[in-house]
Amino acid sequence: MSWRRLLGVLAVAALLAGAGTGLLRSSAPDPDTDPVRTIAAGLRCPACQGESVADSQSPIAAAMRQAVADQLARGRSPAEIRRWFVERYGDEVLADPPARGLPLLLWAVPALALLGAGAAAVRTLRPPRRRASAAAAVGSAPAGVAARRVWWLSCAAVVALVAAVAVVAGRLEDAQPQAPPADPVAVTLQLARELEQQQRYDAAAELYRDALRELPDDGVQLRLAFALLRAGDAAGAERTAREVLTRSPDSPDGLLVLGLAQRSTRPEEAPQTLRRFLTVAPRHPAAEEISRLVDG
Amino acid sequence: MLGDLGTAGLTAGLTSASLTVLLWLRVALLGAPARAARVATVVTLLAAALACGALEAALLRRDFSVRFVAENGGRHVSVYDTVTSLWSALDGSLLLWLLVLCGYAALLARRRHPRRLHAYAMAVVGVVTTFFFALSTLAANPFRAVHPVPVDGPGPNPLLQQHPAMGVHPPLLYLGYLGLVVPFALALAAPLAGVEGRDWLRIARPWTLAAWSALTAGIALGAWWSYAVLGWGGYWAWDPVENASLLPWLTATAFLHTMLSGAVRHARWNTVLACASFVLVLLGTFLTRSGAVASVHAFTESPLGPLLLGLVLLAVLASTLLAARGDPAPPSPRTPPLLSRATAVLVNGVLLVTIAAAVLIGTIFPLLTEPLTGARTNVGPGYYQRTAVPLAVAVLLLAGVAPAVRRAGDRAVARRLVLPAVAALATVAAVGLISRPGLPALVAFGAAAFTLTGLAGQLGSMQRRRRGVRTVRLAAVLAHAGLALVAVGVAGSSAYGQAQERTVRTGETVRVSDVSVRLVAVDRSAGNGRMVVQARLALTGDGSDRTVAPRLWYDTARDTAVTVPRIDTGVLRDTYVTLLAVAADGSTATVRLAVNPLVGVLWLGAALIVGGGLLAFAASARRVRRRPPPSVPVDPPTALRVAA
Repeated sequence: MSWRRLLGVLAVAALLAGAGTGLLRSSAPDPDTDPVRTIAAGLRCPACQGESVADSQSPIAAAMRQAVADQLARGRSPAEIRRWFVERYGDEVLADPPARGLPLLLWAVPALALLGAGAAAVRTLRPPRRRASAAAAVGSAPAGVAARRVWWLSCAAVVALVAAVAVVAGRLEDAQPQAPPADPVAVTLQLARELEQQQRYDAAAELYRDALRELPDDGVQLRLAFALLRAGDAAGAERTAREVLTRSPDSPDGLLVLGLAQRSTRPEEAPQTLRRFLTVAPRHPAAEEISRLVDG
Repeated sequence: MLGDLGTAGLTAGLTSASLTVLLWLRVALLGAPARAARVATVVTLLAAALACGALEAALLRRDFSVRFVAENGGRHVSVYDTVTSLWSALDGSLLLWLLVLCGYAALLARRRHPRRLHAYAMAVVGVVTTFFFALSTLAANPFRAVHPVPVDGPGPNPLLQQHPAMGVHPPLLYLGYLGLVVPFALALAAPLAGVEGRDWLRIARPWTLAAWSALTAGIALGAWWSYAVLGWGGYWAWDPVENASLLPWLTATAFLHTMLSGAVRHARWNTVLACASFVLVLLGTFLTRSGAVASVHAFTESPLGPLLLGLVLLAVLASTLLAARGDPAPPSPRTPPLLSRATAVLVNGVLLVTIAAAVLIGTIFPLLTEPLTGARTNVGPGYYQRTAVPLAVAVLLLAGVAPAVRRAGDRAVARRLVLPAVAALATVAAVGLISRPGLPALVAFGAAAFTLTGLAGQLGSMQRRRRGVRTVRLAAVLAHAGLALVAVGVAGSSAYGQAQERTVRTGETVRVSDVSVRLVAVDRSAGNGRMVVQARLALTGDGSDRTVAPRLWYDTARDTAVTVPRIDTGVLRDTYVTLLAVAADGSTATVRLAVNPLVGVLWLGAALIVGGGLLAFAASARRVRRRPPPSVPVDPPTALRVAA
């Protein structure tokens, strides 16, 4: 054996050894990875779409990560933790469906495709002798009367296709009336109302102002005045309510907000405004409370 | 007014598309002259253009009496976003779909191909066009009037207003999807056209290459959009919409390879793959447009499911019936030896079909389980990582082996593979000993090194070839090198990506390896129907300091929050900063800092694949044009062997 050949063999051996070690190292689990993250990556966040518990920002994912960490600390194995989650949330909580029952399809279909396509490939490379003649008997065209008949049939088929679409489309239209287009002002108002319910009056007032710019409406302006009042901006509420009252002096809600706002801005005028409110709208839902307030 | 014009365009299109089918059938069956059919095809294109133009004009003039504008237009939307909002929702994108489809039909109608093959193919394209015109006119007419006319609209989905790629990604994708109608139509026409049908592969090649290049570019742009806008840090989520675009790409790729091998020609591989590609396009449209599969792209929900499913079944039925009649090409005289291009092309076909099967069943699995078990079992990325990814690595290795097999039964193959094998082993050894990328990534690195080295060797031997052959070879080298680079990018970014997520106060930092960001300030602004929160962060790393400002904005009209990441693109790694949340008083911000290595290599690889596809398209289009088809094909296998 010459020196060059020996060097070559040694180099190949070194390469093989190096590559083998690299592959072995990579197939072993990395000691640096966080076991909580590994387990969380295998769980699906129930509140999100297509995100794992490891990646999701939602509070429930954070809670699930905490649950994983707690159980790991108590010395449970990853398989036990997964089972614990499956018992609570069902199989859907696993990012990969377990390989039993229907999910076997996930493996059977590609396997069948591999077998089928593979068999077809083998047949293509080693075709049986008789197929050579079979392929030649292809493509006799219809002629004359037959062709004309095919053409008329095709006419009918095209009409049938369009008619079928029309019928199905008609059915769908009956079944599912088109949702009216979203009105941005309505959406804004809805949002503002939700913010009010969450007692975020500042943000709600901001949205009411946005909506007012698009849709100058007394009702919206009064909602704004209420929101400002609840947010603690009595002066703003008073100003807003007065604007409404200049347009319609007997607006009950306008008087109500104005009176309530005046209780902190000009306490001397408040009882008078609120009494006027009671005379204008004695059956207002707030009337009872206001009369107690004024008289008491 | 514009609404009536649009409806008129759609109705005219439906009528002329139906006429087109019948006129082309007259050409095919009764030997009528093709002039009237050509005119009808162009009229259909004009009708589609009219409908598109009317909707575009209505969007730009903010004509809220038109339903689509009322649902997707808005006074606050910029001109660019208004133009692109044509394809931001289902009904409008259907018009773009029709325009592209009719464009392909008109182009194919202009060509001079064997008469009956051409006419049958045009009739098939016409049936597809008729169906989509009927769908748009009868089931999803975007021009219907709205009463009362709203003052303003909500604007397109805010996610779609974030990136300029939105203007190009859907049209490119449609160019790809619908281009596949041509090979599908030719494959169906070939058995009907008798002897003339033997020429279909040569005609189909440039169309398939053009469509495939556009589809590749569309998929890559979609991944880029997902990376740059959605802010989750990745580019591919195995989301149903993404899978729907990948499926036809896989089968079309297999088709592009099988059509090159003379020995594979007489079998049904080409017919089946050409049909499967377009059927998968239709199936993908059904899956994503019917709202059947919930996904992050679920803004395309509509009640069109049953109709699209019907079309899918019709296409499957037609292709099965016609494919059963067999390919009219004569069988090759002798069987190829085991070590030959034919084997490589078939193994490639088997692998790609298997990947497609795995992706398909993974995508439709939730649809199957829901009616059967009542629960919706989703399939996560883990499934695809265990099925599609190893098969893809095998495809990459094959791309390295196949070019070494130059002549059938070549003995020198093993000698040619020594250097690539050494390079692969050296890469695996070096990478595996220095770091721990995980087994799939390590193997992918090795396979990429193997393929790239083999391709480099091929470049060297290319000088000796004729010019035309050289162009085709160069195209193949480019595309395969691109595939290897994509593999490096995917493996690198998934193996070495690091991310850190923290809630920080002003002045505090988030650190990932040697990169860190310090929160400088949180700014808020409102207006134009949105509230914007922006975190100013000082970025330190790579030896340079600068300020990045990821944003979080909330669209009041659509009640949607959008995170806009800031990506600092480098040669070998990206720094990716996302603002996830901000405290109500603006004192703290939750920031995600990620370092994504080798993502740039991924985009470069995708660009190379597209470039290779376009180069091969140019070469094959030139060849089809230079050599007008003989009226009776003399010896197609010879012509094809030159092409190979």
